[in-house]
Formats: sequence, C-alpha cells, structure tokens
Amino acid sequence: MIDPKRVLRALTEHWTLLEPLCEHFDTGTLSLIDLRKQLAAQLPEGTPTDITALLDQWIRLDILVPVAKSPNRFELNAQIHDFLAYLRREHRLGLCLEIEAYLRHLERLAGYIQDAFEIRDANDLARQLRLLDMRVRDVLKKLANDEQALVGVAERAKTSDRQIPLRQRYAEVLATWDEYVEPMIQLVAADGAFEQGVRRVEQVLLKLLGEQQRLGQLVDDDLLLRTHARILEMQTTAQLTLRKARELLLPLREEARRHNAVTRGAALALAAIRKKGLDAVPQASLPLHTRPQSTFLGSASQVEAYVYALARFEPKPAQFPKASSTRKGEAQRAPRTAREMIERCEQALPLPDLMVWLLEQEPDGATDELLYWFSRLSRDSRFQRERIERRDYFTREHQVSLSSYALIKPAGTPV
Amino acid sequence: MNIDLKELSQLAPIFRELFKGYHISRRDPELYTQLSNQQDQYRALFKSLGYELTCDTRGFYYFVPEQMGAQVNKTAQRLALFTFILVEHLADQGRDPLAVLDGGSLGRDELPALLEKYRDLFLQAEVTTVDELEEKIMRRLTQLGFASEDNGIYRFLAPMHRFLDVCLSVQQDRDLAASLHSALPLPTPVLVADEVEDDIVLIEQAGDTTAESEEDALARAMAEERDAQEIDA
Repeated sequence: MIDPKRVLRALTEHWTLLEPLCEHFDTGTLSLIDLRKQLAAQLPEGTPTDITALLDQWIRLDILVPVAKSPNRFELNAQIHDFLAYLRREHRLGLCLEIEAYLRHLERLAGYIQDAFEIRDANDLARQLRLLDMRVRDVLKKLANDEQALVGVAERAKTSDRQIPLRQRYAEVLATWDEYVEPMIQLVAADGAFEQGVRRVEQVLLKLLGEQQRLGQLVDDDLLLRTHARILEMQTTAQLTLRKARELLLPLREEARRHNAVTRGAALALAAIRKKGLDAVPQASLPLHTRPQSTFLGSASQVEAYVYALARFEPKPAQFPKASSTRKGEAQRAPRTAREMIERCEQALPLPDLMVWLLEQEPDGATDELLYWFSRLSRDSRFQRERIERRDYFTREHQVSLSSYALIKPAGTPV
Repeated sequence: MNIDLKELSQLAPIFRELFKGYHISRRDPELYTQLSNQQDQYRALFKSLGYELTCDTRGFYYFVPEQMGAQVNKTAQRLALFTFILVEHLADQGRDPLAVLDGGSLGRDELPALLEKYRDLFLQAEVTTVDELEEKIMRRLTQLGFASEDNGIYRFLAPMHRFLDVCLSVQQDRDLAASLHSALPLPTPVLVADEVEDDIVLIEQAGDTTAESEEDALARAMAEERDAQEIDA
C-alpha cells in the first residue's frame, strides 16, 4: 500500500520536472534513455545517479509504470495522468459512448431503487441512491472535461497555420464532429437515449417521493430531492455542453468543408483544363461586365479582306534602305494619333462642317481614313455637335453622301 | 420608387467604376458606404438604365452583364484559371487557400515560381512570362477590383469570392467529374473575341498597296490604343 501523502508530496516536490514530461506522455510512452535525457536537460547539475534515484522513487510510488511487455519503456500511471491532466487543464475528449453507458447504468440503478423500495429495504435503497448520485457526478465530471477538451480542439484549429498543418487541423475538427458531436446530438435529442434515461430515473424518484408520503419514510426526502436536482443539472449541463460544442466546432467544420470543397473544385478544374483545355470548365467563364465594344468602323468587305489577308499571310524579308541610296518619293508619314487630331480639331473650333474641315486637313486622305476621323471626332465628348443637312463630299477617290456635323465648344467652357 | 439624386452623391464615380467592370468593396470606403446605405435607390436607378447591380452579402457590388449565352469571356477564364492554380499551389504548400484568397496576400516575388510550376496551364491562357502574368492576370485582377497592389504585395479582396464560388460549383459538377473519366468530348462553347482586350479598329486603304496599308493601319491602331489609354489614365 503506497502512502497517498508520499505520492502527493512527490508530485508537489517534482512538479517542475513532471509538468514538462506530461506533454511527452500525452502523446505516448518514453524509453528509459529518452526519460533520462529529458530529466538531464531539466537538471543540468544532476548526476546520472541523482536521475536514477529520482526515477526509482517515481517507480516505487507508482507514478511511473513500465509499459506492458516493454520493461524499458515507461508511461504515467493512468490515474495520476488523469489527475495531472485535470490540474493542467489538459482535457482529452472522451467518447460519447461512455456517456451512453453511464446512462444505461443510471437506468439500471433506477430499477434497483424501485426494487429496494418495493421490498422496503431502507439500507439497499440508501446505497443505490448514493450510487446513482455518484454516477450522475461522474457524468457531470465527464461533460465538464469534454467541454474543456472541445475548447482545446477549437483552439488548436484556430492556431496559426505554421504551428499545425492545415490538413491536420481540419482533420481533428472533422473527426471530433463525427465521433463526438454528431452522436451527442443523437443522444441528447428529445427521443434520444439521454432524455429517455433521465425521464425514467426522474419518474422513479418522483414516484418514490409520493409513495414515501403515503407509506412512510424509508430514506430522508432530502436525499431524494438532492438526487433529483442533480439529475436535472446533468440534463441541463449535457444540453449546454452540446450547444457549446456546436457553437465552437460548427463554424470550423463549415470552414473545413468549404475549404475541402474549394480545393477539390480547383483540382478538378485543373485536371479538366489539362486534359481538354480552358473551355472544358464552362464555370470559369464568369460573367464580368465589360465596357461596350468601341465602335468598329469598316465595311463587311473590308473585314473580309482583312481576315483573308491574315489567313494568307506570308512573311517576306524586310528591305532596309541602304545608307548610300537616296530616298525616292516622300517619306512615310507617321500615323496621326487621336490626341493629335483632337487637339487640331479643338484649336479650329467652331467648325461649321466637320467633313469639310477634314477634307481640308487631309486632302489626300483615304476615304475610310477620313470617315474614321469623322466618326471619332464627332463622338468625342469634348465637342458639342449639331447635325447639318445631307450633302455630297468628294474625297480623293470617292463621292460620299452624309449628314455632317457642325462642331462648337460645349456650353460652359471658356472661349 | 422615388429616387432623390441629391442623396446619390457618389453616383458618377460609382457608375464609372461599375461600368468598367470594377467590383466595389470595402477597399473603396466612400463608394461602398454610399452603395450600402442607398442600395435600393442605386439598384432601381441602374435597373431603369438597363444595368443589373448585384449586391453580394459578402461585401461587394458589381454589374452583371446581360445574358451572355454560350459566349466565353477570356479574361474571366484567365482569372479563374489563376484562382484554380493558386488554390492548388497554396494547398500543396500546406497554406490555407481561403485565408489567402479571402483578404490575404501574395508577394509579387512568388509569381515566378508559380509560373514555373504551372507553365503548361498558364500557356493555355497565353501567359508565358512573368511580365505577361502580371499584365494579363494580376493587373486585370486589380483593375476589376478583385485585388489591390501595394509595394509588390497583392492583397485579395472580397470579390474573389466570385472565383471561389466557381471552385465550389466545379466541385458540384458531376458531369465534369464524369467527363474526366470518359473519352467523350465536352460540348465546346462558342469562342468570341474578348471585348476589352481585343478591340481592333480596322482601317484598310482601298488602294493596291495592300501590305503597306496593313502595316500602316496596325501602327496607327497601336498608336491610338496607347493614346486612348493615356486619355483614360
């Protein structure tokens, strides 16, 4: 028999050494060599003999126990581990099945209580009621532990990316949801095992109270009332724990599901594009508003000729002028820019007839060139325009019939 | 509904941005606040003008174009492809794609490695160099309000949810998943030219010096495009 005081004293004295070890034991067992290394790091001045003495003490006090079939590996005694986890507020999520098992036991206890009352066995009745009360406390303890563990899961999931890889972080949330929250929802539902169990026990206790009043007391009414109150507390706590679990994990689960769906969608789209090109993913052609196409000036035959020329395009060697030879004819004129033309037009305002002005400016201009400038300048927002009567104009090559514009400065602009 | 134009004090800038295809989010606090305060008025006004204002509860506003049918928007395809790639790349690295694409950031210095890793896929979006990646994708993302750029860091904004939704809808597309395992080709949507990027102003001289006039027209079109961009800017 190990003296509890000695265990507690050892835990108190060696807390600074034990606490960091707990983290290692949370994730698994430790070999004797690793254990010595860990302790040596904590006790830089300690000799190997000191460390051996320390380990011996822990083993003697049953704080450390050898792992079954591996005498050189150690783990914390499960009871001590739970106690330390409670002190460190490190909670491991239990199973929903445990709660269900407790509830089944509560129901059985309710049956025994009824039996004890029927045979008027006061001792057995008091014993069963105590057992029921302790079992309810177990459930309450477990629910409180699970709630803290869920907070831990949510906190880990929210920790920054660098600390926990994305997949792992989502995996824990999803696994917790599937293995704990989902079954809990079923369990605590109105027709679930939890509610049914609680109702059954409650009915037995209330009936007992009524019968005691009628037939005389076997146990103190207070005991019955306390147990009843604790059962109701357990019911409320279960609902609160579940609500908290949903509040904590549902957004993360949704995020995880969305994340999975988005990455899966992207991977699927890329696979389709690799195989069949961009058009294989019609969803990619998102409707984006674009400015209406700028006016396209050119007759159908011109477009046809342009496309035809493009289709029959053949590269030909560029002929650079020789330095020695003199240039024949006029130098190629640089194309006019819109800004240049607009400025010239602005300076010439007011224009009684835009087309006449254009013919004066560009007497040798090609017809379509002139028509382009006519269209461009007459639509420019800098000018206010007025339609004039249709008449014929003569370009170098053609006779054009159109209703030209008179351009004037827009109202409000300085003259 | 009575619309009081005096209350819509940001009407002009809001319309200008939405009309460009820009997504207004909290990044533009003035416009966003005004839109969320006067949401119904703006919607009604734009609707009567023929523009459908979409208010996404995740915190952004945009114009939806009229029914596009089977037409394909090349810009959207490129940006969606970039999103798919980024999601996979981040997931491979153990980073959280949602955290990055929903308010997170990506360094410009990460782009070369991304391009190298997914060269074959970027090629399908006609992106072969880092410059093209920045020009055709990152710049478009910022122009359309999906991201913002500051000192070489791209921060993704709430409208990126539109592309994350695309990922979700692909994930739910059973046909697509099935098609990956079958040899049957998918019906191909009709490809039309991208409206924004592929503006061509075609001027061709009627004369017989065809080749020269084409060069001339091309040079002038380029000059004018540059000019138009300067004016816009």
